[in-house]
Amino acid sequence: MIRATGTSINDSMVYQVNQTLQNEQQLENEVTTGLQVQNPSDNPSAMRSILDEQAESSSVSQFQNNITQVQQQATSATSAMQSLQTIVSQASDIATEADGTTTQQDLNNYATQVTQLIQEAAQAVNSTFEGNYLFGGTLNSQPPYTVSQDSSGNVTSVTYNGNTSVPSVEIAEGVTLASLPVGANTTGSGADGLITDSRTGADLFSHLISLQNDLLSGNTSAINSTDLPNLQKDSDNVTQQIATNGALQSRMNAESTILQSRGAALTQLTSSQADADLATAMTQLQQNQTAYQAAVQATASFQALTLSILAYLQ
Amino acid sequence: MSLGLFQVLNMASRAMQTQQAGIEVAGQNLSNVNNPNYSRQVLDISTSEAVPTDVGIEGTGVQATGVEQVVNQAVNAQIQNENSVSSYWQTQQQFLGFAQADLSQQVSGGNSGSTTAGQGIAGSLSDFFNELQTFSTEPSSLSERQVLLAKAGTLASQFNQISGQLSTLQTQVNSSLQTDVTNANQLLSDIASLNNQIATTKVNAGSEPNDLLDLREQKIESLANLVNINVSPQSNGDVNISIGGVQMVDGAAVADTMQTYDAGGGQILVKAATAGTDLTLTGGSIAGEIDVRDGALGSLSSGIDTLASQLITSVNAAHATGYSLTGTNNQLFFTGSGASDIAVNQALVNNPALIQASGTQGATGDNTAALAMAQLANQLNPGLNNQTFSEAYDGSVATMGQSLSSANDQVSQQNTVQQALQQQRTSISGVSLVEEMGNLSVFQNAYEASAHIMSVVDEMLQTLVDIQ
Repeated sequence: MIRATGTSINDSMVYQVNQTLQNEQQLENEVTTGLQVQNPSDNPSAMRSILDEQAESSSVSQFQNNITQVQQQATSATSAMQSLQTIVSQASDIATEADGTTTQQDLNNYATQVTQLIQEAAQAVNSTFEGNYLFGGTLNSQPPYTVSQDSSGNVTSVTYNGNTSVPSVEIAEGVTLASLPVGANTTGSGADGLITDSRTGADLFSHLISLQNDLLSGNTSAINSTDLPNLQKDSDNVTQQIATNGALQSRMNAESTILQSRGAALTQLTSSQADADLATAMTQLQQNQTAYQAAVQATASFQALTLSILAYLQ
Repeated sequence: MSLGLFQVLNMASRAMQTQQAGIEVAGQNLSNVNNPNYSRQVLDISTSEAVPTDVGIEGTGVQATGVEQVVNQAVNAQIQNENSVSSYWQTQQQFLGFAQADLSQQVSGGNSGSTTAGQGIAGSLSDFFNELQTFSTEPSSLSERQVLLAKAGTLASQFNQISGQLSTLQTQVNSSLQTDVTNANQLLSDIASLNNQIATTKVNAGSEPNDLLDLREQKIESLANLVNINVSPQSNGDVNISIGGVQMVDGAAVADTMQTYDAGGGQILVKAATAGTDLTLTGGSIAGEIDVRDGALGSLSSGIDTLASQLITSVNAAHATGYSLTGTNNQLFFTGSGASDIAVNQALVNNPALIQASGTQGATGDNTAALAMAQLANQLNPGLNNQTFSEAYDGSVATMGQSLSSANDQVSQQNTVQQALQQQRTSISGVSLVEEMGNLSVFQNAYEASAHIMSVVDEMLQTLVDIQ
């Protein structure tokens, strides 16, 4: 038989009460914070996963921001391209109407309109997005195109000041894309040229200046045989860029949707690892509180019993 | 002839003294009922020597032969051992708990749909690389450059802060270690002194000095909290103490003491002062301090330092491939070599245009270098065991968490073991109020009975005297 003393029984009861209190504290904390994992030591492997998921989730959000940036830039680019398309169409209409039956006065008027169209085209291709020029390649701090005029106001040349390099943007881990064409690319490879591209034969400003000059000189034959076909190449080139830009935006929408799903999945994953099952935690808390009350009551009863021995011996 | 009335008187007198001693011992026990370091005492009673008489061998009563402690040395030895184990893990738990708090990677937002794992270095790393991504989409923007520098500065500050905190923690561990060694040496001295006092008292008083025995046991258990010891009880009542195979207490003499020394780089270790050899410590708070400092805390500190060092090297290497807005190419992005001194290059802070984002000199819209820096986030770094920066950091946090989790489990387990041992010791050596109250009653009654014998003998003697 194990010898029991008042001290040993009291110590044992106090120990059990303290254990119950510790459990109480832990469960209370779980219920109030809604978490079963708060610190790395609570569940180290879950914590590792939570941190990794958080890093990925943050990265996913950033890629979504990058995609938004690309989309907004693409929208600005589309607006500029559509302006160019309208300009090319108007120039083609003028070239069509300037046949052998048109008077020189009318041809001069048409030339003036074409001069205006060149200015408008330069304005369109010199569009900016958040302070940077869209179509100058990586030399985007200065206007990509400069228009030169003679004393009569006719355009003599339009000079490209940009380059053929385009910055890339990362839209998913390891996935980068260059989202914009440059103004001019005569190298035969690399980024598409919006105004000039040796691969498509497009050279809008040269063709518009040629049209302007042919109108001023009354060379309707050249307008028909050379300028009109060239403008068609320019129109096809711009249309292609609009289509490419549209496809880009569609791709960005799809990527964004994928990233949103991934982000939601990561949030769910983190919650599943860190969040407490509140129903279970509250049930356990109630059970523990009952156990605590019973332990405290038993301790109090025993302490009263110990004192009573002295009363019997008086 | 029988014993004689005077002999009976002596017998009664001796019996009364014996019962009185019993009451004194019960009183001593009752006085110490709440003293956790007290072992209950019992009065050793034996019959006094019988003598031959005409009517046969007659007893001469009772005598108290000594006051004995009720202890179980095996239980005490177990408690000493478990004290060492408990203290070892409690020490680890304490300091790893501090380190965990310093990292500030607590999870919050439970059951809210936005559970997050605190800012800390993890958050700052993400913010820095995310800002590099944003910057790569606007490489010529001065405002984005300023934001990038701010995020980089926050990350560097986080490294500095945590490095400083862990360094301070290491210093605290060493300080605690020094204090514990000093206390251990004092206890060794106390135990040797008590060996001497106990031996002297036994000779002079002819009995065991129970209170001194309790005190010596208390000192031994306190010492066991500090360091794992080997206790060798001697036949003469001395207790010899050795630590890691080195004799420390040899009877009344302190044979050797513990001494700290710097093994290099602030690594404080413990050796035997006289023997000069390193002590093999496997338990107690001193071993706990050494192991946590050189183990989990050391690994955490080293991991964070390596992370910062690799970040500095990698980011600077990518930055070096770029050109600033003014076409220059001669600035570092981060200065420093590790977590304690990583900082953003002040030249960049003073002039954000000097951040080298472009891959082509003069092309301010080029983001090649900026993108290269941003993409470092997902690159496997050979210097980090082929992990990304985030993975390496997360791994360090998890490893520290595992060490603390193990320590918590051990402490909890040890609490149960110690509780059981204490229960066992109390059941053997603890004072029972009920028992002692009963003993009081028993000895009181016996005293009264013996006193009555004296009265009776006294009357009989008076009768004799009155015979004329």
